[in-house]
Amino acid sequence: MLISCPLCGPRDATEFRYVDERRQRPDPEQASPQQWRDYLYVRANPSGPARELWLHRSGCRQYLFVDRHTLTNEVQTAALARTEGTR
Amino acid sequence: MASLADCTSMPKVLVRASPDLGDSLGVHFGLSTRDSSGALVVGYGYGEWLVLDAPDPVPDVIQRLEATPYDGLRSVIDVTHGHALLRLTGADTADLLSRLCPIDLSDDVTPNGAALRAPVGGLGVALVRDDVDGERSYLLVVDRSYAESLRDMLVDAGHEFGLAVAG
Repeated sequence: MLISCPLCGPRDATEFRYVDERRQRPDPEQASPQQWRDYLYVRANPSGPARELWLHRSGCRQYLFVDRHTLTNEVQTAALARTEGTR
Repeated sequence: MASLADCTSMPKVLVRASPDLGDSLGVHFGLSTRDSSGALVVGYGYGEWLVLDAPDPVPDVIQRLEATPYDGLRSVIDVTHGHALLRLTGADTADLLSRLCPIDLSDDVTPNGAALRAPVGGLGVALVRDDVDGERSYLLVVDRSYAESLRDMLVDAGHEFGLAVAG
C-alpha cells in the first residue's frame, strides 16, 4: 500500500503508523461521561471508505488525514493534519 | 568504488520555526543549499532546518541564524553531539543505498541538493545528496545511538561495491 504524503511524495505504508479514526474531540466543558467514554473507546470501524489519522514516522514526522478504503486499501487522499485543523 | 567517512564531528545546528522561515533561509523541506558562508542548509523537516558543514564556529552560526529576518518564534540549537553524520561517496552509492533504502535515488528524483527523510535499513535517517567535485555523495544524519548500526549495515551492503571505510 502506498500513501502519497503531501510533503514526501508516494511512500510505502510501512513508513507510516496508523493512529486513529478521524473524530471530533468533545468539548471538555460540555461533554458528559458517556461522550468521553465513546470518544476514548468506541470506534466506527467502517467496512469501506474511512477518514483516518496517520503519522509519517519515518519521513516528515507529520500527522496526515488519510482517506482510505478499508477493504481495498486504496488511498484516495492524504493531507497535512496541521493545515486542516485538529481532529 | 565507494567510500564511507565518519563526519560526526562536523558542526550541526538545528533550527525550528514556522515553514515560512524557509523563505529567509532560501530552502524548504526536501532541498538543501549552500549559504553565503559556505554552510550547507538542509530542509530537514516541515519547519525544521539542519545547518551542516559551517566554516564558522558554532556560536557564530547560531548568532547568524538568530539574526535571520523573521517575525515568528524560532529555536536554534547546537545538535553536533546529538546526531551522527556519515558521508557516502562514489559512483555506486545510489546502488549501494538501494540495498537498504526504498527511495528512488536516480538523478531524476533525487538530484544533487535533494534532502529527504527515509528508512535506511529500518532506521529513520535524513539523507542529503551533496555531491563533491561532481562525484555522487550522500550525507546521512542519524540519531547518535543508531550510528553504529547504520555504519555496520552500510559496510555490509558495501562489500559488493568495494566500499572503503575511512574513519
